Amino acid sequence: MSLVGGLKEMRSDLLLVLLTAGFATAASVIMLIIPLIIAPKKPNKPKEIQYECGQIPSGAGKFPLMMQYYAYLLMFVAFDVMSMFLFAWGISIYNVGLSGFLAVILFIGVLLITLAFTLYHAARRELW
Amino acid sequence: MIRTFVEFLTRIVVLIIVILVLGLIVISALYYLIGPILPITPSMLIRPQEVLAFTFALMDTDLFRITIFPGFTFVVIYAAFVVLWERKLLAKMQLRIGPLYAGKFEGIFQPIADVMKLLSKELVIPKVVDRFFFILPPILTVTVATAAVAVIPVTEMWVIAKSEIGVLVIFAVLAFFPLTALMAAWSSNSRYPMLGGIRALHQLVAYEIPLILSTLTPVVYAGSLNLIDIVEKQSDTWFILLAPISALTFYICSLAELERIPFDLPEAEPEVASGWLAEYGSMNFGLIMGVAVYIKLYVFSALFTILFLGGWLGPQPLPPEFWFIFKTFIVTTFLIIPRGVYPRLRIDLLLKQSWARYFILALVNLVVAATAVLGGFKL
Repeated sequence: MSLVGGLKEMRSDLLLVLLTAGFATAASVIMLIIPLIIAPKKPNKPKEIQYECGQIPSGAGKFPLMMQYYAYLLMFVAFDVMSMFLFAWGISIYNVGLSGFLAVILFIGVLLITLAFTLYHAARRELW
Repeated sequence: MIRTFVEFLTRIVVLIIVILVLGLIVISALYYLIGPILPITPSMLIRPQEVLAFTFALMDTDLFRITIFPGFTFVVIYAAFVVLWERKLLAKMQLRIGPLYAGKFEGIFQPIADVMKLLSKELVIPKVVDRFFFILPPILTVTVATAAVAVIPVTEMWVIAKSEIGVLVIFAVLAFFPLTALMAAWSSNSRYPMLGGIRALHQLVAYEIPLILSTLTPVVYAGSLNLIDIVEKQSDTWFILLAPISALTFYICSLAELERIPFDLPEAEPEVASGWLAEYGSMNFGLIMGVAVYIKLYVFSALFTILFLGGWLGPQPLPPEFWFIFKTFIVTTFLIIPRGVYPRLRIDLLLKQSWARYFILALVNLVVAATAVLGGFKL
């Protein structure tokens, strides 16, 4: 009873989202346990190593990789914060009115200039 | 490996015992959870009308919502149905036949057959992987996809969590997907998953911002982040008429976020051998490709329906639940169709397109919407 009472008091959006996620976790864990019980087990050497289309693996997967498109990831870090800023303006659009709108137009203008500059450098793949 | 009849019997008996024990645990847990809220009495066994009353009372609880209707069971059944629909539709588009033998009519039991096959496959975990982080992504993708389902309203009544910031919750949840892809890629300790994981990271991250910005246009029209409010504001005009460019951007970006053709670079079979999923087999694979991806497909279709197609609004005699599921299904079909038609994009074009085209397209309709709203346009 104490558990149920506690749940009823704490009933909020976040708790319901977490409960849904928790239920999905439990269901997927059960679905992973079933093959452990009913599926056959025949361990052999090729199953223990990496899969490379039937070839002998060319080595470990954790290797230094040339990130030619690294610049696009950096762009995300900057522009994601800016898009959230636009969200904050979007829902308060009635309150901030025309002056807020002009400020946001200016902001988007600066954003587009920055975008053009970063895109030019991101496309230069010899740089990365 | 089952070779003799005795071994087969032993396996069956073990399975029955396991099911009995698990069932007992689940039933007793449910009894202690529901018991204090709703009266369950042994006399129900002989009086059916009490059972009916109990069923209606049960349908009003959060437990029912989470486990059955707008929650997990509903989306899994939807996912299973969409898997079959996708295979049949693509087959018809390409003048093939598609699944035919499981079930008497047009292979309708194919999803069940698929699940049975995946469940009976050996769960291979290679020795070279990081075990913990290798097992985590299948569970985590399902968890995260279902968490997004929690805030999606099927109707005003059928919603798990009535959140005031529904749109933001969905994007906060969806931001976990690059993380799970990268986790699977790095822990697999293999070359193809690594390449696929890096591709997934670039793609999911690049298309997230146009997606978020195209969502902002309906939010500006409705003046609210609450998904229920957004639907109710569309009682006269659907937002797809007021924000067609945003709808198009949202559609294309959801294709990319769902890793569907023509944006399926992270799991391209001929290039990187299923990408970040290459090391997964059995139910591990089934959970990601069979459950999580299709729940995610439901989430995006439902979000498109809510933001642009007026959610559960529709002509009266049919119930609102029907309209929501019908519209969501139509959107799902449109998300599936490109798979039968288009070839795959190149990664540099993919990234450049996202930033140079869809980003700007999303901003264009946003500015138009803001001008209209400030110019006195009222819904």
